[in-house]
Amino acid sequence: MPQALEGSQAIARAVALCRPQVVAAYPITPQTHIVEHIAKLVADGELHCEVVSVESEFSAASVVLGSACAGSRAYTATASQGLLLMSEVLYNISGLRVPLVLTCANRALSAPLSIWNDQQDSMAVRDAGWVQLYCADNQEAVDTTIQAFRIAERCELPVMVCVDGFALTHTLEPLELPSAETVAHFLPPYRFSRTLDPLAPLTMGTLVAPEYFTEARHLHHAALLAAEKEIVAAASDWGAASGREHAPLVRVEDVPKARIGILTLGSVFGTLLDARDQLPDPPVRLLHLRCFRPFPVEALRAACAGLSDLVVLERAIAPGADGIIGAEVRSALMDMDAPPRIHNFAAGLGGRDVPLAIYPRLIEAIGRPHARMSPIDIKPELLPENAPSPIKVPS
Amino acid sequence: MNTLHDLRASQPRFQGLESGHRACQGCGQALAARLTLEAAGPNVALANATGCLEVFTTTWPDSAWRVPWLHSVFANAAAVAAGMEAALKMQGKDIKVLALAGDGGTFDIGFQALSGMLERGHNVLFVCYDNEAYMNTGVQRSSSTPHAAATTTSPAGIARMGKRHLKKDILSIIAAHHIPYAATASVAYAADLRKKVRRALQVDGPSFLQIHSPCPLGWGHGSELSVEVARLAVQTGLFPLIELELGALVGAMPIREIHPVTDYLKLQGRFKHLFADDARAREELAHLQALADHNIEVYGLQGKAPDTLDSEGADSVRRGGLRSA
Amino acid sequence: MPVMTPGGFAYPGTSLAFKTGGWRTQRPVHRLRAAPCHVGCPAGENVRDYLARTADGDLQSAWEALVAANPLPAITGRVCDHPCESACNRGHYDAAVAIHNVERFLGDEAIRSGWAYPLPPVKTDAPAVAVVGAGPAGLSCAYHLRRLGLNATLIDRLPAAGGTLRTALPGYRLPRSVLEDEIARLLTTGIRFLPHTALGREVSLAELQRDHAAVFLGPGRPRPRPWDVDGRTPRDLHPALVLLQDWVALGTVPEIRSAVIVGGGNSAVDMARVLVRTGATVHLVTHEALPAAGIPHETAMKAALRDIRQAVEEGVILHVEHGVHRLILRGEKVVGVELVRMKKLARADGHYETVPFEGTETVLEVDQVIPAVGQEVDTLGLEALLPTGGLLPVDGFGNLPGHPALFAGGDARLDARGTVSGAVGDGYRAALAIHAQVTGTTQELQGEPAPIPVGDLTLNYFEPVPRTEEALLPPEKRTGAAEIATGLSAVEVAAEAKRCFSCGECMACDNCWTYCPDLAVLKTREPAADGSHYLFNYDYCKGCGLCAHECPVGYIAMEAESS
Repeated sequence: MPQALEGSQAIARAVALCRPQVVAAYPITPQTHIVEHIAKLVADGELHCEVVSVESEFSAASVVLGSACAGSRAYTATASQGLLLMSEVLYNISGLRVPLVLTCANRALSAPLSIWNDQQDSMAVRDAGWVQLYCADNQEAVDTTIQAFRIAERCELPVMVCVDGFALTHTLEPLELPSAETVAHFLPPYRFSRTLDPLAPLTMGTLVAPEYFTEARHLHHAALLAAEKEIVAAASDWGAASGREHAPLVRVEDVPKARIGILTLGSVFGTLLDARDQLPDPPVRLLHLRCFRPFPVEALRAACAGLSDLVVLERAIAPGADGIIGAEVRSALMDMDAPPRIHNFAAGLGGRDVPLAIYPRLIEAIGRPHARMSPIDIKPELLPENAPSPIKVPS
Repeated sequence: MNTLHDLRASQPRFQGLESGHRACQGCGQALAARLTLEAAGPNVALANATGCLEVFTTTWPDSAWRVPWLHSVFANAAAVAAGMEAALKMQGKDIKVLALAGDGGTFDIGFQALSGMLERGHNVLFVCYDNEAYMNTGVQRSSSTPHAAATTTSPAGIARMGKRHLKKDILSIIAAHHIPYAATASVAYAADLRKKVRRALQVDGPSFLQIHSPCPLGWGHGSELSVEVARLAVQTGLFPLIELELGALVGAMPIREIHPVTDYLKLQGRFKHLFADDARAREELAHLQALADHNIEVYGLQGKAPDTLDSEGADSVRRGGLRSA
Repeated sequence: MPVMTPGGFAYPGTSLAFKTGGWRTQRPVHRLRAAPCHVGCPAGENVRDYLARTADGDLQSAWEALVAANPLPAITGRVCDHPCESACNRGHYDAAVAIHNVERFLGDEAIRSGWAYPLPPVKTDAPAVAVVGAGPAGLSCAYHLRRLGLNATLIDRLPAAGGTLRTALPGYRLPRSVLEDEIARLLTTGIRFLPHTALGREVSLAELQRDHAAVFLGPGRPRPRPWDVDGRTPRDLHPALVLLQDWVALGTVPEIRSAVIVGGGNSAVDMARVLVRTGATVHLVTHEALPAAGIPHETAMKAALRDIRQAVEEGVILHVEHGVHRLILRGEKVVGVELVRMKKLARADGHYETVPFEGTETVLEVDQVIPAVGQEVDTLGLEALLPTGGLLPVDGFGNLPGHPALFAGGDARLDARGTVSGAVGDGYRAALAIHAQVTGTTQELQGEPAPIPVGDLTLNYFEPVPRTEEALLPPEKRTGAAEIATGLSAVEVAAEAKRCFSCGECMACDNCWTYCPDLAVLKTREPAADGSHYLFNYDYCKGCGLCAHECPVGYIAMEAESS
């Protein structure tokens, strides 16, 4: 039975259903509500879990790493600067092949300071060796969180579940929470294969010389590629268990005769769906790249078959380069028989609203010359070159 | 051949750290870690910060450890240990968690995580192997480097007499966390060191042990002198061996025969410049002596009568071994 | 080839596959070094060994280790001037170990408990060796011959064995019962003892040589050396040795009101103490100095400092670095002596000469002058070997040059130490040489090994422990033959034994085991082949030298690796 829950609360309850023994986090907007809710569930005796309120995100990641290695299911959540403060440990966790789940309440990175949503943070750690799954709505956030634990534990890889800050975390939506039994069945108790155990003491985190390092890296790379199968299986099994199946890699919302596609990640996808309902012509195929790591090349190619143009709309930029996702999509599609033309735009940086009106502008932009990558919702009047009088720079 | 192998396997002590590690000759840290593990026993789990100890014990595929051991990064040993402890507590397992770090991983880069772990009251023993500089990267100064010591980033020269700043008083900072047990120890006093490890592990809550661990390479002394140098650090008053409970001083190893600091300094290359015929060198020597005198006064280190646990009595041996600890 | 593991984990203890021993440029080795007490003991006692066994509480084994060199520990434990203690490295730290008390205690325990000397069974067909003189040298030689599997026939001109120990050593230093018990036990070990058998009277040297594979001569110096002052002697001159022998045998001496004893040796001091006990006023005059650090042996009194001190406590008036310059006679009877300050001074050739200093003369009024200026060999039966007043020249093993089967030791040999322990050592070394000769093996004369100096020990690891001094009978109670030194209790002896630094020999203190950063020192269950309790595992030893530097007893040396 659907209930109206704030995204953060829904995610917190989903986490609780997965029965983590240790949760460690440091407050950062817009992640705070998730951990606050978990703390309350613990305080109310609904979850038997150690909540470690650490002194930094760096320690939050370190604590959950320690907990996971000591044999507990562990969870953390962060955003933005916090994710970057964790970044050294994120690489380390994945390199150690430790199963963990992290919710990233996506937020812009400073400077200038912005506490609002974009996806620059998770994009900044895209090569940290984690599985990265993006959620289009809060129901998907709930379901993905539960699946994330299973993926992590089966693949011995950490999974980052990315939800747009405020847009999802602070939004009330009707959604369904699964029963504890359903989750318990889907996600049985787990023991990490390399648990720190005095009776079978292993050494983790060794120094690997050049003669062996490539193989270690290769195994990590191969494990991420192989994780795709588990991601698909988790979605399918969860669909069977819960009655809700989300596309595991790329969600395709097609319409007949669509030659134009728009690909995005996260909550903007919902906006685009609504906009398309209002503007059915021309027919546009909407794509949600749910799984960004591993990068689902084959699924993406299949999803783009028959398109002449593909707009890649992202909420981050790589200053001085092509779009982060755009470049990867280009690369993935370039050896298709008839690859679509790629039109790469950013929108919604630092919490700028992405309105329905973005949709016609994107379609319109296809027909006009445009930069390889630019924010489509830029306000030219705010740029210094368009200022009515020269800007006075204090000297 | 098997005889030695069998003998090794039947030594009457716990060998948590095995032979075949790649520490330099006479490494104080290797010795300190070995002694720590002997006292801690097998029912432990270790979080190790990046540093010499981590590197020389775990060159893949080899590991010198016989206990569960996890190295993550440089700064997070205390936090990783905290996570391990939280997990083990939730699982109802009575396994002692130790965090091991050098002075860099304790005084400097690991300091915040350490403070957090202490503040949250995790049942973790944090052991700092204090060799007073960044040895793993080539002897750069740390906040633990003693005043006037020369390192590669605080070299002595015409314009400078080594490090300009004081050695950070980490123990006072630790003490301010009011944890149940904090102490200093030295590789020169093995029995005292092991006793303190056991005490630290007996308390419920965070404990801290700072072990003075000479580095022959970084300090510029012969590999055979590591214990003698460490002993003189204690006997001069430059490295007081003290114990604190809830921030209060509860014990100090009395010095029976106080040595002048020059006895300690002259054995080490890092203080060589202080023995030049130079007024500034003389001033720095006087400064170091004053620091030792200050320690002796503040901690009441001057022994009143010979004692089996003072700086002369605590390392005494007897026929047939079987030290008191 | 290793196979990469998830996250690069490793299995425990796998570093043992990495042999860090290859880094080594020097290696630690166990090197047993000579202890100063051992080197310093004229009898050759391995003091360190029996102190260790005593410390371990194994007293019988300690005694056995002791009598492997000296069969008379109850005696030497009392009368020896214990140069072992002067040499003891502990003397540089707090105070020397009271070795003589341990020795005495073990000797007494053996007598009390009836421990058997550890000797092989007597073999009647073993070669026989004659030993002349049943003093300490002869007793020791006969005993060691037995220990080495030979048969020994010991002859003495007197009715009982013991030599000077029996004839001239007062009971306050060596109780008669101890002497009797220890010698009696020794003589039941299969030594054939023939009393009343004087060389040159009952048997000749030629006969002994004819009937035995070798002969050891230990005749001692039973005759007082002649003495006069400028050719004059008093008519009623009693040499100290004769008076002492009377007192030891009968308990009496002629009544003397006051006397000057001349000499600085044991006989002089004992004579003085005996006379003090009879109520006489006694002056002891010697041109030698009190034994002390820095005083050359040649210029110091030969009596033990301990005995000199006790004599002074008892009332003997000491005049060191003085000599009798003139006898003041009334007729042929002494009424006084003129003393003069004297000193033994080294000449350019290194010899010492006694020089009187004119203008320092003083007069003592006494009614007796008793010389105690040394003794000499009784040449009866030895005429072919030495002239009157001469001594037997021997090599380091007691062999007389030109006489392959003839050996000598004790006070009768040239350059004798003049002590009981010296005589015991002579007998020991001669027995070794005789055994080698008789069995056709060679006995290499080895120089004394250099004892380990105190600087080679690591003294940090030792705690000061006061030496337990045995109680002495207070001077006012020192009458007759009452023994003065009371010895130490079992507990005190154990404590003293534990004070031993074990210089140069492993004492299983665990220091090397404790301080090796590489776990390359392994502790053994049973003592290792070299007698230590540890093995170096050179697969992992990096040669840092910590074990050697921190070894309290200097037992570990670093040796350069050959390549």
